[in-house]
Amino acid sequence: MNTITSIGTAPLIELRRATKHYQIGENPVIALKGIDLIIQTREFVAIWGPSGSGKSTLCNLIGMLDSPTTGSVLIDGQEVNDLSDNARSELRNRMIGFVFQNFNLVPVLSALENVMLPLQIAGASSSVARQRALERLAEVGLEKHVAHRPAKLSGGQQQRVAIARALVTDPALVIADEPTANLDSGNARRIIELMLNINASHGTAFVFSTHDQRLLESVKRRVLMQDGEIGSDSQPERPAAQTRIAGSRP
Amino acid sequence: MITWFKLATRNLFRNGRRSLFTVMAIGLGFAAVNALGGFTAYIFTSLEDSYIHIQGNGHMSIFKKGFLEEGKLDPTRYLLNEEDVRVIDEVLQAHPEIRISTPELNISGLVSNGEVSTIFLASGRVASKVDVIRSHSRTKVGNMRLFDGDPMTDDKPNGLGMSQGLADQLRFKQGDTVVVMAPTVSGQINALDGQMLQTFSSPVEALEDKLMLVSLEFAQNLYDTTSVDRINVLLNDGLLTQPMRATLQSELAAHGLDVEIKTWNELSTFYTKVKNMFDVIFLFAFLIVFTIVVMSVVNTVGMAIMERTREIGTLRALGVKRRGIVGLFALESMLLGLIGSLVGVLLTLAVWSSIATFEPTWIPPQITRRIPLEVYLVPKEMLWSLLALMVLSLLAASLPARKAARMEIVGALGHV
Ligand SMILES: Nc1ncnc2c1ncn2[C@@H]1O[C@H](COP(=O)(O)OP(=O)(O)O)[C@@H](O)[C@H]1O
Ligand SMILES: [Mg+2]
Repeated sequence: MNTITSIGTAPLIELRRATKHYQIGENPVIALKGIDLIIQTREFVAIWGPSGSGKSTLCNLIGMLDSPTTGSVLIDGQEVNDLSDNARSELRNRMIGFVFQNFNLVPVLSALENVMLPLQIAGASSSVARQRALERLAEVGLEKHVAHRPAKLSGGQQQRVAIARALVTDPALVIADEPTANLDSGNARRIIELMLNINASHGTAFVFSTHDQRLLESVKRRVLMQDGEIGSDSQPERPAAQTRIAGSRP
Repeated sequence: MITWFKLATRNLFRNGRRSLFTVMAIGLGFAAVNALGGFTAYIFTSLEDSYIHIQGNGHMSIFKKGFLEEGKLDPTRYLLNEEDVRVIDEVLQAHPEIRISTPELNISGLVSNGEVSTIFLASGRVASKVDVIRSHSRTKVGNMRLFDGDPMTDDKPNGLGMSQGLADQLRFKQGDTVVVMAPTVSGQINALDGQMLQTFSSPVEALEDKLMLVSLEFAQNLYDTTSVDRINVLLNDGLLTQPMRATLQSELAAHGLDVEIKTWNELSTFYTKVKNMFDVIFLFAFLIVFTIVVMSVVNTVGMAIMERTREIGTLRALGVKRRGIVGLFALESMLLGLIGSLVGVLLTLAVWSSIATFEPTWIPPQITRRIPLEVYLVPKEMLWSLLALMVLSLLAASLPARKAARMEIVGALGHV
């Protein structure tokens, strides 16, 4: 069941002239000023830039947590704006895993139950969900802590649980918005390494954002956000990758 | 499903004190409604039993048509004569559902102690048959002696009973000879001597100085008639009252009798009034409980949603649909309703058992004796309350829950 959902020729994620405007009282705030961005399956993308540059807003659009003011977001070639809230929820559940800055584990559930949650939302049986969740927790090195509630875990451990939870449905993409912001540098580094390893071994695409440049060393594709615009993209478009993936799946 | 159940119960325990308050509010409301309901059931049963059995009126009474409307002015014109009674008895005999029937003649006139006289109203009855009817009482009051003195018996046709107020007024004591006067059906004044056997209290305060109890024979002798004004019928089963009335009505009509049949609840206007009054009281009590339950559930769920906004955002991000969020909080509030109701069942049982243990007594309106106060257990009512409170909790939660489900995910996730 380790399939990646995106198998078409369309890119995993595509943003076309996507903007996001906020209105704070009288003043309009333009958080994103027409973003064009393509993310392929199996990619590992770092979105970096100063605070307030629009990283979170971009992550939210990619994850269908929010919709653009103008322009469009396509997931697997599907225009997100055309989908109902229910369809978006299902798509999120199936295709996208989330890792948050403040972990966002459900406090009344154990580590294991937190990881089982996305599968159970999808309607999987308890036994199947438990089996897969245990595997994922082992992968992030928490097999000894499965019964712990989040409050009994350190920040780094909580974020590992969150990563296990994000991966449990075998999503095509994991979005991690500042996953290391609440962690010390050692833990931050280990979390990035963990994500890179999973990307390499499972082929799960990752989009993670950070304002900490030191975490970018091992990341090939870096998208710099500046004032709601893409300042630079170390590997834009990547038509070669698209051909490669299309070619590898006849 | 089990996951959501787990999530809901654990979240209820997360803020245990708040949940406890809500559960107690629901439980107390449940107990209040059901204790009142149990008391009401006791009152209704007592009133019904009092009219049918204790007062010996039976489930229904057969009258000559017009007696109830015109009989007050000219009672003698609307009596059932010997032939009528014979035919009616014949018809009644054929129905095994009828336990017993007994004729009755109500009279009025003057009662005198030789010095002064005053007006009386008396029912003339067959003591042995009334005793049979009374013996079928299902209430504690039915087993109580509701008079002072000697019982009325068939072998003392001149024995009579008097309401305490009347006896006091005329200074009669047990064993005294009482002079009773009334016009006969043909218009002459007749007088008979009776013997004072007992005093009782009038079921209606206003009649405390007017009521008497005589034998049917005595009443008929005084009126110089062989007629009666009604035949009271006791059934084996009160539930048969309506169908039996219809059956008897048509059978009696077929025998050429121009009679009307009234059931106990039509004749006991007091029952109907009290029932209406209690229905209103019950409605008020229910509305108060309703308001308290709705308010505490809305408050509990509203607070929970505020505190758990980020959790709601997380669940939505993980793919829970809007209706899933509504469902989660609906489940929580239904659990509150359920646990609250179960607490309510326990409280109701506690009220019921302590009343059963301590057997308190009271003097209800229209009765001048201390009688046991009871609260009945009405399982059907409790089941309905449980369902009603669960549905109510669900509805109360649905408004805040719907709002929670409509929150922007990003906003909810950013909530601290
Ligand atoms: N809900 C909001 N309402 C108003 N302005 C917002 C909202 N969210 C973000 N912004 C603004 O949009 C800009 C980009 O924010 P954000 O995407 O959070 O940046 P970053 O994640 O890079 O710090 C900022 O100027 C921020 O103030
Ligand atoms: Mg941010």
